[in-house]
Amino acid sequence: MWQEVAEVVMRSLFISGTATVLATSWSIPIAMIITAKESEFRRALLDVANALVAVPTVIIGLVLYLLFSRSGPLGFFGILYTPIAIAIGQAVLITPLIISLSASVLRETRSGIWEMAVSIGATERQALVTMVAESFPKLLTTILLGFNRAIGELGVALMLGGNIKGFTRVMTTVIALEVSKGEFEFALTLAGILLLVTFAVTAIVRKVSKTA
Amino acid sequence: MIELKNVSFAYVSEDVLRNVNLAFGPGVTAIIGPNGSGKTTLLKLAAAIYRPRVGEILIDGVNPWSASETVKLLARRNVVYVHEKPIMLRGSVADNVAYGLRVRNVPAEEVAARTEEVLELLGIKHLAHEKAQTLSAGQQQKVALARALAVRPKNLLLDEPTANLDKNGWETFIELIKELAREGVCIAIATHDRLLAMRLADRIALVENKIVTFVESPEHTG
Repeated sequence: MWQEVAEVVMRSLFISGTATVLATSWSIPIAMIITAKESEFRRALLDVANALVAVPTVIIGLVLYLLFSRSGPLGFFGILYTPIAIAIGQAVLITPLIISLSASVLRETRSGIWEMAVSIGATERQALVTMVAESFPKLLTTILLGFNRAIGELGVALMLGGNIKGFTRVMTTVIALEVSKGEFEFALTLAGILLLVTFAVTAIVRKVSKTA
Repeated sequence: MIELKNVSFAYVSEDVLRNVNLAFGPGVTAIIGPNGSGKTTLLKLAAAIYRPRVGEILIDGVNPWSASETVKLLARRNVVYVHEKPIMLRGSVADNVAYGLRVRNVPAEEVAARTEEVLELLGIKHLAHEKAQTLSAGQQQKVALARALAVRPKNLLLDEPTANLDKNGWETFIELIKELAREGVCIAIATHDRLLAMRLADRIALVENKIVTFVESPEHTG
């Protein structure tokens, strides 16, 4: 049992970690663009991100399922029911959350750091880089929230991964499966581990952001 | 020299400043006025941080808002605005002071020399390796001023620069500004400190009810 638990935990960490890296790679630049200058378009972009934060995971799972299914427009990739599909799904899921929170963090520093940087002679790009560097600890926290949302979600993992034993089974899908089978002991063990993992990751990120 | 010609500015829809005509020439211009009257806004317009709704800002004859990005940057680099609440970057005092030089790609040896020079000038050399964000408000104000002086600006805009200084710091500041004014730097100071205005200002501008009502020499203000 413990070997299976370890395997599932490692797979969950890998998939959600990949999803977080993917989402961060595009979400932070988008948040930078939104906060770089005030405009109606950028405000609308942020409104859309804010609205999408609360979209249920099953809706994202359903949309991506239709895209990745064999008859779907991206079916030729053949990634449905693979860990890659789950990682992409989770990345899409947490993108609005990271954009929304990062934009909020960057807006906070804009009036102070950005103005100071520009007024002391930085180019707008240098000022933006300074803003991001100065916001790093807070941005790390937003990324952490994204990771925690990814590792704790069920809908995307179930619909895009299919809960295939030894391949796409992650902590949340195992918990759901074991509960449906009436195996509460195993489900509770995994739920405890899921909580421990999120606490541990939070503690590590906090430590890193303090020393950064 | 910074000139504001027929400048109006609004944050949202209603003007905060209306039809301002003003020039910050060599020497010291004190900007006084009640809270919320637009003193800070005026300085940020002069520093080309804010773009006027109408009118034009000329920094040494150049309108940064109608110039190319390169010319705009060069014009901006002739002005330094120092916030009322000092903005400290993470890192040491020396890192903060060197920031303006580093973004200008000044060679490392010169950065070190000029940083040391201004830290000494402001009497905070002993704080060089302290974390800037952990300093007191008064010390941070000196660091912010040191950061501004390190880049040797032609135009220096100071927002409530003595708000957190003790008596010694205040006197040192007065002497420093007088020296800079003698060197030909155009200095504008937004302040509530009437004594500071009386001691330093060659001109006083009063900002009230969205307009700059007059610019006088201090002896005329009573």
